[in-house]
Amino acid sequence: MATHKISLTVNGVLEQAEVPSNMVLLTLLRERLGLTGAKNGCAAGECGACTVIMDGEPVNSCLVLAVEADGSEIVTVEGLSSESGLDPLQEAMIEVSGTQCGFCTPGVLISARAFLDRTPSPSEDEIKEALRGNLCRCTGYVRIVESVKIAAKGG
Amino acid sequence: MTHVGKSEKRVDALGKVTGETQFPGDINMPNQAYMKILFAGRPHASIRRLDSSAAEAMSGVLAVFTAKDVPVNEYGLIMPDQPVLCGPGSAKQYADRVRFIGDQVAVVVAESEAIAAQALERIEVEFEDLPVAQDALESMAEGAVLLHPDRGSNIFCQYRIRKGDVEEAFAQADVMVESEYRTPPQEHAYLQPEAGLGYIDDEGRVTVNVAGQWTHEDQEQIAHALGLPVEQVRVVYSAIGGAFGGREDMSVQIVLALAAWRLHQRGIDRPVKVIWSREESILGHHKRHRYVIRSKWGATKEGKVVAAECEVIQDGGAYAYTSTKVLGNSTLMCTGPYEIPNVKVDAYSVYTNHIPGGAFRGFGGPQGAFAAEGQMNKLAEKLGMDAVEIRLKNVLTEGALLSVGTPLPEGVSIGKVVEECAVRSGWKRSGRGWKKPARKRLGSPEEDHLRRGIGIACAFKNVGFSFGAPEQNTAIIELHGKERIEEAVLRHAAAEVGQGAHTVLAQMAAEALDLPITKIRLVVSDTAVTHDSGSSSASRMTFMAGNAIRGAAESAMEKWHAEERPAVGIYQYRPPPTTPLDPKTGKSEPNFSYGYVAETVSVEVDTETGHVRLLDVICADDVGRAVNPQLVQGQIEGAVVQAAGYALMEDFQEQGGEVRTVRLSTYLIPTVRDIPERVESVILEYPDPIGPWGARGMGEMPYLPLTPAVAAAVRDAVGIWFDTFPLTPERVLNALKESETP
Repeated sequence: MATHKISLTVNGVLEQAEVPSNMVLLTLLRERLGLTGAKNGCAAGECGACTVIMDGEPVNSCLVLAVEADGSEIVTVEGLSSESGLDPLQEAMIEVSGTQCGFCTPGVLISARAFLDRTPSPSEDEIKEALRGNLCRCTGYVRIVESVKIAAKGG
Repeated sequence: MTHVGKSEKRVDALGKVTGETQFPGDINMPNQAYMKILFAGRPHASIRRLDSSAAEAMSGVLAVFTAKDVPVNEYGLIMPDQPVLCGPGSAKQYADRVRFIGDQVAVVVAESEAIAAQALERIEVEFEDLPVAQDALESMAEGAVLLHPDRGSNIFCQYRIRKGDVEEAFAQADVMVESEYRTPPQEHAYLQPEAGLGYIDDEGRVTVNVAGQWTHEDQEQIAHALGLPVEQVRVVYSAIGGAFGGREDMSVQIVLALAAWRLHQRGIDRPVKVIWSREESILGHHKRHRYVIRSKWGATKEGKVVAAECEVIQDGGAYAYTSTKVLGNSTLMCTGPYEIPNVKVDAYSVYTNHIPGGAFRGFGGPQGAFAAEGQMNKLAEKLGMDAVEIRLKNVLTEGALLSVGTPLPEGVSIGKVVEECAVRSGWKRSGRGWKKPARKRLGSPEEDHLRRGIGIACAFKNVGFSFGAPEQNTAIIELHGKERIEEAVLRHAAAEVGQGAHTVLAQMAAEALDLPITKIRLVVSDTAVTHDSGSSSASRMTFMAGNAIRGAAESAMEKWHAEERPAVGIYQYRPPPTTPLDPKTGKSEPNFSYGYVAETVSVEVDTETGHVRLLDVICADDVGRAVNPQLVQGQIEGAVVQAAGYALMEDFQEQGGEVRTVRLSTYLIPTVRDIPERVESVILEYPDPIGPWGARGMGEMPYLPLTPAVAAAVRDAVGIWFDTFPLTPERVLNALKESETP
């Protein structure tokens, strides 16, 4: 299969890779760059566990070809916190136990971050709309929504 | 108390919100090879010929393993009726058959997943199809095709209860209710598909790193199939991405161990990794059992239930898994948490070519509760009596006899739980008894094709293993330091499936040792360094581990005071014994502890689309003692939403043994858009006399009453009883149309 040289910024770091045409961004992140925070829950854009921010927009990284990400700026869950501390969403998630098994958590946090960046003071309904692509089987979503509300207020 | 009762933050939260936590699929080992599994792909057939030579000859393929490579080709949590790999060449009788679509036939180990996948296609399998059994009722009839010919019948478990004389009692009843309930299968749909690594560790042990629910049982199942002593097998759990009972049985455990072991024997020491796709996960692990429950109950005009007769038929699918234990629960719970003087139950587990039925939150309880609570609500209606009033006339009390002829263990709170739930939900009590809230309290729908209603249901659920199953939990506590305790190490095998077990273990250890929680270090979920804890299931881990931790802490403190350094306490907690159902009468001591729960649900039914929307869910759950109230609330909310999926949307489609819902876009589980408008957790704390700090189990209980409460609310809203579900818009709309036809 043909390969392509791409470069992209992941969590602020410039990365270069030679990828086959059919490799998806999720595979590039997990298997080439060792960033296993984004999860593979369905490989079909149905569960949202692989969500990353691409040029400011949340995307299912299992549905984006690595070559499509050439030149883009990617943020994964590993890039949410910095040396100055955790993202307010992460803090809120810990505070109210918005995470249980934790497999959906990275995708949820990323969707919520992309959303809050655009909508700093959301209604509950807007929060739910922003998270409807992220499945969670443990929490019943109540504490996830609560986390986003808290982060929006404090952040 | 400083730690028990406090909402400590989860010990695993930081790793989970930063993405550092590693699930099995996130772990890579140097020089690892990749595994793919060849599934049967057909529901019932015998394998005439299997030729893997072309696959083995492919460049990049390390090995192909089939039935002939499995030393003892059988496994099963209750009975070893399933081949590890189906096909010719093993000593196991009838192992050449596949009995459901997800039976495993061969495994390929290769340099990459892509090569392994290509190699699967080169394995030649000649199947001879057999008739497909897809209905438990047909399968239990005389002359049905046998799934396991060595057994002589497809009925693989049977229980009966005979208490009093139902016929005589029916003759004296003022009202009777007879119904046939049908409950659907349910897919666990945990977000993390099965994955793991198999390798030989530094000490030569066949090791599997996986996500399961009971390390030591996985270890035993692997050792049995590989014909190895258990000490030569090691099972380690990394983070577990949800379980809900779905990881109680084997998925990738045995084949990973088999591959690592057989490669090792060939001089190839390479870790083997496997990750299932979503489709493989849905086809490859068991489901919640389908049931048919036929119930006939009679009551006096005062509202006292005098007799209950139930026939309980469980579709066990292709193999036993935990079906017999699940059936035990349904046998007990199909008559609800009520004192009924005359009871007759006949219950059956039946093989079919469906994906096996097995453990799923509630473990036979939800099906039993759907029938029992449906009967109770219908009796109330027939008598013109309030649904709370009739329950309080019949609920089990201290010393009252269960259907199995023995009383519940001390600490029976179901009556108080029902009352509390009713009061919180707007029920009023007067001299004339209980009365449900007025319709206006439910609020007015925006348009007149929307109808609102409210319903109630309650349930009891065992904590811990039942009916004589061996039950224990062992904790080890090591106290390090000189003058003062610097660190306390708790060694414990408890599976952290997301419920918060590890956090609660740390809290209970801190409480028992009177230490800050920061001084507790957990060493968990590795058979090499922990003793058997039993499974994270049956709402048992807090109860069992708490008692074990208390014992270990006491012993370690004694040694500490005797100047032993480190001071090590090991304690095995054994609860009061339980006994199996008597084969003729069902008489038994079924359980040593219970949790009690009641729920009200209000709904809005759209009569134009058939859509049922959940408004308020109020769950009153007696947890004995909430070790961590925030985590308890998380369990209630999670259970309610999972049960809402079961009641309203989750529609597993399996026809002729083929599955049509192998994706999350066809098998729909609740999204954040599908949750109730409000879930209120009413945490009650009536202590269990033998629970640690009074705690009972609680992970499953809030699941049980939801579906029957929804059914009652829908009846209240639109006047139709649904005895089967999920209440999809299609089902509701069809029923509405039918009810309008004169």
